[in-house]
Amino acid sequence: MASLAAKGISKVFEDGFQALTDIDLVVEPGEFVTLLGPSGCGKTTLLKTLAGFYDATTGRIEIGGTDVTAAPPEKRDTAMCFQSYALFPHLTVAENIDFGPRQAGVPKAERRARLESLLRQVDLEAHRDKLPNRLSGGQQQRVALARALAMRPAVVLFDEPLSNLDAKLREQVRREIRALQKEIGFTAIYVTHDQSEALAMSDRVVVMQGGRIDQVGRPEEIYARPETAFVADFIGAANLVPFEDLGGGRVKTPLGELRAAVPPAGNASFICWRPEDVELVEAGAASENVIRGVVRDRAYQGAHTELHVATGDADLGLQRLHVAGAAPAEGAEVAFRLGADQIRFVRSALA
Amino acid sequence: MTLRRTLTIAALLTPGLGLILVMVGSVFYIAVAQSFGYYNLSGESAFSLDHWRDVLGSKQFGRSLGYSAYIAIISALGSIAIAYPLAIWMRKPFRGSLVVGSLLKAPLFVPGLVAAFLFLNVIAYHGVLNQFLIWTGLTDAPIRFQNDRNGFGVIFLQLWKNMPLALLLLTGAVQGISDEVVDAARDLGAGPLARFRKVIAPLTVQAMQAALIIIFIGAAGDFAFQVTAGPTNVQSMAQYMVFLKTSFGRWNQAAVVGVSLMGLALVGALGLAGLARLTLRGLKW
Ligand SMILES: Nc1ncnc2c1ncn2[C@@H]1O[C@H](COP(=O)(O)OP(=O)(O)OP(=O)(O)O)[C@@H](O)[C@H]1O
Ligand SMILES: [Mg+2]
Repeated sequence: MASLAAKGISKVFEDGFQALTDIDLVVEPGEFVTLLGPSGCGKTTLLKTLAGFYDATTGRIEIGGTDVTAAPPEKRDTAMCFQSYALFPHLTVAENIDFGPRQAGVPKAERRARLESLLRQVDLEAHRDKLPNRLSGGQQQRVALARALAMRPAVVLFDEPLSNLDAKLREQVRREIRALQKEIGFTAIYVTHDQSEALAMSDRVVVMQGGRIDQVGRPEEIYARPETAFVADFIGAANLVPFEDLGGGRVKTPLGELRAAVPPAGNASFICWRPEDVELVEAGAASENVIRGVVRDRAYQGAHTELHVATGDADLGLQRLHVAGAAPAEGAEVAFRLGADQIRFVRSALA
Repeated sequence: MTLRRTLTIAALLTPGLGLILVMVGSVFYIAVAQSFGYYNLSGESAFSLDHWRDVLGSKQFGRSLGYSAYIAIISALGSIAIAYPLAIWMRKPFRGSLVVGSLLKAPLFVPGLVAAFLFLNVIAYHGVLNQFLIWTGLTDAPIRFQNDRNGFGVIFLQLWKNMPLALLLLTGAVQGISDEVVDAARDLGAGPLARFRKVIAPLTVQAMQAALIIIFIGAAGDFAFQVTAGPTNVQSMAQYMVFLKTSFGRWNQAAVVGVSLMGLALVGALGLAGLARLTLRGLKW
């Protein structure tokens, strides 16, 4: 039985704005799923709809096998970690964590046991009697997490919980959340617009765009086999080039004729390749899938150098290449080869 | 700090602080002094406890004190009780909330005495209310509502006049609570009542205390509403004080009632404010 199943969810706000369209999502127990997408794509709306703060305009939500579509948030077996932490400012750390279990009428001994183990797990034993405004940002975030976990909810919902932390702390708390999730085994839906966070933390990534789900998959899948131009571009960097199908895996593009290992699907409209998937070759090399151009711009990035290369077709824009080791200078003519199996085909958007 | 410095600072403070102390302090001083026999306008000025003994011994004083305390407590608590739900209701703006808010605060602009007369017109023996009741057939003959013995008329007027003040204070406080904090409580299983008890009330307790104190003090010292709409068998403290002075010229006894009224205001206001805090601490869970 799935922890959470949402079928055909759409949300139209009072002002007529459609924020979600036909969302299907199934999350298995113990799974860590991230909702990833650009600002305004409906991540928070989806999360609040799952938590019950918004009524879904259409669709059905099940949590732990029970239909909760019409249930208010206080009746749903979810717990939310808010972006602003939303700790109760008048209650101590321990009282904040104990709020949910007390409200639910959990017996006192059980409550105490939960509190103690959570305080230990989030490493806040020394701060148990402090008020939230006496804590650092990272500590407040951990209180919010412990407060949500104390409910033993079927699903924990995170709305960009780390966006108020500096880069280093974010990294640390992210690892702590993941470690805790593995230890306790809670089910998590985690909203972020940071693609590296999504790739690093998730069992599965749900990429959203304009209120719809573009693609769902394991991080490796999403990165290696994007299905749409949007996903390819949003996760990592990608070069997208329109093509004409010549059959048998051969395609005609503004970069010249190329051969792909896997022929395009009927609805594909771009070829896509990652900047790091190219290999520089001798200028005169005559071989399959070799593209020539001029380096227009060059940025040293440490592990690699990023080149922006102008090819024959002026409308196409510059192609991005990542080159390890010695890289050609600005203005140099280069030739590079795409492996046939590194050329992928993507749709322009959700068909 | 040298004496010189201290004196300089004191001198610099005199225009502001000094004025306040003189204005406030002198009134208080005269009232207290007069209640102990000084500033006697109708006899020898000398220290005496007679006035206190006479007033505290009179039955009428006890009734006045009790009555004023009763009106003040009910008015303060009642105003809060009505204002809280309204403040929570208007926490987030909605269509027409500005109009509703303005209408609710309109009584602040109507002088109390005007309101009292309007009210008397409505509840008079041949007033609109009675005519309506007879028209609906709920009663056969007009009912006498005016100057009811329980002081309900006065309490109604106090609520009408003071609820907007409580609303003003509470709306500000309630709006200061972030949506996410309230949502978090909901998410952790707190229904509407639990959300009020455990989150909204504790976070707005200071505004609640301020409202309780201001309304209690105002209602305890009421003269206008009592004279127009109050019961005729008991006097409010203010009314009693004026009565002692104008009917008998007993300035010193009036001062005793005045000082007692200040005492009632202080004790009652602090008591209510303390009660509010204690109750909340008890209700925290
Ligand atoms: N109450 C509302 N009424 C009308 N439109 C709304 C409402 N709340 C959100 N929206 C709109 O719905 C869209 C999705 O908003 P949402 O907050 O879900 O975005 P998000 O993906 O969480 O973005 P971010 O990454 O910036 O937090 C936005 O265009 C927003 O303007
Ligand atoms: Mg958001």
